Amino acid sequence: MTAPIFKAGYLPGLNHADVAWHRLSLGSPHAPLLVDVPQLSAAQMTVLAQRVQHASHSHLKTMHVSDIVRVLDMATARLLDPRDAYRQQLERLLPQATGFDAEMVRLNLNAYLQTFRGLQLQRFVAEDFANPKVLDEFQPRTQGGWTRAFGPELLVHVWAGNVPALPMWSFVSGLLVKAGSIGKVSSAEPVFATLFARLLAEVEPRWADCFAVVWWPSGAAQERTAFALADVVLAYGGNEALQAMQAHVPVTTRFLPHGHKLSFGMVSAAALSVHKAPGVVRQAALDVARYDQQGCYSPHVFYVQRGAPVSPKDFAQHLANSLVGLQHKLPRRVLSLEEAAQVGAWREAHEFASLNDDSTELSGTGLSTVVYSDHPLPLTAGPLNRHVLVVAVDTLDEVLALIAPQRDYLQTVGLAAAPEELLLLGEGLGKAGVTRICALGAMTSPEAGWHHDGRFSLLDLVRMVDIEASTEREAERFTPYEV
Amino acid sequence: MNALVSELLAFIARPAVSDDDFNALALRLFAHQFEHNRPFQKFCQGRGKTPRVVKSWQDIPAVPINAFKDLTLSCVAPETCARTFMTSGTTRGDVKGRHFHPTMSVYDASMLRNFAQHVMQGDAKLRMGLLFPTEVLMPNSSLAHYLALAIDHFGTPDSAYYLDENGLRTDALCEALQHAQDSGEPFALLGASYSFVHLMDALQACGQTFQLPAGSRLLDTGGFKGQSREVPMDAFYDQLSATFGVSRYQCLNMYGMTELSTQFYDAGNRHVPSVKRGPHWIRSRLVDPLTGQDVAAGERGILAHTDLANFNSVVTILTEDVGQAIDDGFVLLGRAEGAQAKGCSMAVDNFLKAAQA
Repeated sequence: MTAPIFKAGYLPGLNHADVAWHRLSLGSPHAPLLVDVPQLSAAQMTVLAQRVQHASHSHLKTMHVSDIVRVLDMATARLLDPRDAYRQQLERLLPQATGFDAEMVRLNLNAYLQTFRGLQLQRFVAEDFANPKVLDEFQPRTQGGWTRAFGPELLVHVWAGNVPALPMWSFVSGLLVKAGSIGKVSSAEPVFATLFARLLAEVEPRWADCFAVVWWPSGAAQERTAFALADVVLAYGGNEALQAMQAHVPVTTRFLPHGHKLSFGMVSAAALSVHKAPGVVRQAALDVARYDQQGCYSPHVFYVQRGAPVSPKDFAQHLANSLVGLQHKLPRRVLSLEEAAQVGAWREAHEFASLNDDSTELSGTGLSTVVYSDHPLPLTAGPLNRHVLVVAVDTLDEVLALIAPQRDYLQTVGLAAAPEELLLLGEGLGKAGVTRICALGAMTSPEAGWHHDGRFSLLDLVRMVDIEASTEREAERFTPYEV
Repeated sequence: MNALVSELLAFIARPAVSDDDFNALALRLFAHQFEHNRPFQKFCQGRGKTPRVVKSWQDIPAVPINAFKDLTLSCVAPETCARTFMTSGTTRGDVKGRHFHPTMSVYDASMLRNFAQHVMQGDAKLRMGLLFPTEVLMPNSSLAHYLALAIDHFGTPDSAYYLDENGLRTDALCEALQHAQDSGEPFALLGASYSFVHLMDALQACGQTFQLPAGSRLLDTGGFKGQSREVPMDAFYDQLSATFGVSRYQCLNMYGMTELSTQFYDAGNRHVPSVKRGPHWIRSRLVDPLTGQDVAAGERGILAHTDLANFNSVVTILTEDVGQAIDDGFVLLGRAEGAQAKGCSMAVDNFLKAAQA
């Protein structure tokens, strides 16, 4: 059997024959997928950047945001259409490239794409710009003067591959602020950005040269070249990789890193009645199963409050059963030997703890494991791939101390609590470093316009330009007519 | 237990054994350990594997080597044991794995018989140089004991240790090597892989090389463990061969672990990775670390060893070494390092690094 080959990348203006291609082996030994990614020379990168900047000047920066949203809405509609050729390619290639189950990719992709339809995109823009027209032209300020937001001339993205289609967030953000974009795909998921770029060019042919999708080996000379040409570098990845990238970003270039994150769940006694608990558990299990905890928003630990009819230990047991049930609907991907060894080491450590005292209990199969602990364990990262810790606590306030050491890494909290608890807990979690609180079951689908890692998706990309009131006031003196 | 030890010694002494013989003794040891070691019993019960249901040696639960750190794996009170070997503690800071030996008779018999065959290769005695401290300096090191056995049983009277608390005795060793080269008497240099690197670096600094006589051999073990620079295997054996004038066929490598009582050897390192083989009282499998099931023939797996000489601890251990079955042995393909997280999600290893930073 010969493995299929996918040619990744989107290189407007470059002749494919002139480009060096690097072959990546993705997929499993049983279903291999070969992907050729473009590795440009410094000269080619420079030419590409010039072309992208030039085209975005003529065709992107001249458009109104509302028209850009309209184009993106059309592209999203195509991707949501099961008969569309691009959608079909995504459904075929993403599972192959990432090893995720096809049904998992299909379901998650739908939920994800829904946040990129016209209505959601308008909300996305409004989240950062009270008056979105500020992206189109100078807008009057209430206290006098005028303001306009300018997107970068060249935005360089470095994408991660932990979750399929992840590049869409920053790709779309770049377009909404009218930036010319060059994105570097991850070796683990080079598919989505490539196909999205091609689809956009088909939906709006004038955009054909406004962006490019490339690849380079981490830390390669091309990285320096690309970063030197950029106004803004937006990068996803591990902290070490980001640190290395930062060293290549000129001091005059804005660097927006999204590094390691750690997320968890919290369940109040209020949600643990015999009646309500099963639904809560089901949602928690979905958060664990979706993309096998590979997302920065995926939970590693659930803190569960004691004192309700359904105990934390029951919760753990139900969660384990729920995960076993989900294995049929959303099968877990096959692990590499290294991943399996890591999972094994994590399970063993808890297993040994359970042999030494009775406060720890393991339940699950070879495919997912829930470890229950009666001790107030601090928040730590698990081995992913559907392995979670359920920790019993007397009150949810106790959790704040348990997560404190991870302050720099905290991101999402999946919270099941009563209305009167929400803001109090939110206050404490916010102080502790958490940036997103959502319902259980929603952890892996951030809403349109979320503040990723506590930042502004669009506002961080632009440069605000003010014409101060004094200029206008003075200008009145220079009219050709006398008042 | 004495009866078990006698039976084991007889088993090791036999020229060969059948599958059934191996299986029967493995199951007896498993039953013995299940009965006399409470943490092991709980471990087995947690996996639904009791002597009642386990009918073949492959089915005995493999105990991860980390358990030697977290649990007391001994059928007798640890304080009554003749020797306790400890791991070097390189992976998890100051927590060391402990392997309790109530008597050294089994370990010694296992080591001597196997060493005679694979290292001595028919020679009764050889002049030896050891690149490792003595047992007195390192009483908890299984390797120190192993090398002490080698020098005591197979070394000529002029054999010596060339590493002590002051470090490598390069000058004395050079003298011995020079003497061997001049006299034509074969020489065996044995020690930790990283000590060989230090020695070669020292010799290279003074431009010294040797042409050891035919019949000389080198034995390295244990890898580099961060104690010296990491040298790719091919380069390591090339340099060994060039520095001492010993063909790569006679550059042997021993694969052993504190958690085992039996060693594996290759037949030289002309080609790397070399195939490792063990004697008839140890058998190895390549398994999926999560299910414990054998991987498909020819695929990479984690090595699990069933070592009958581990009569007091646990008969089957699960290593962290990746291997692949070749012929009647296996090749080592490195350690199962934590998988690199692919993006901004965090996995254990990365987290640990972050937490230490």
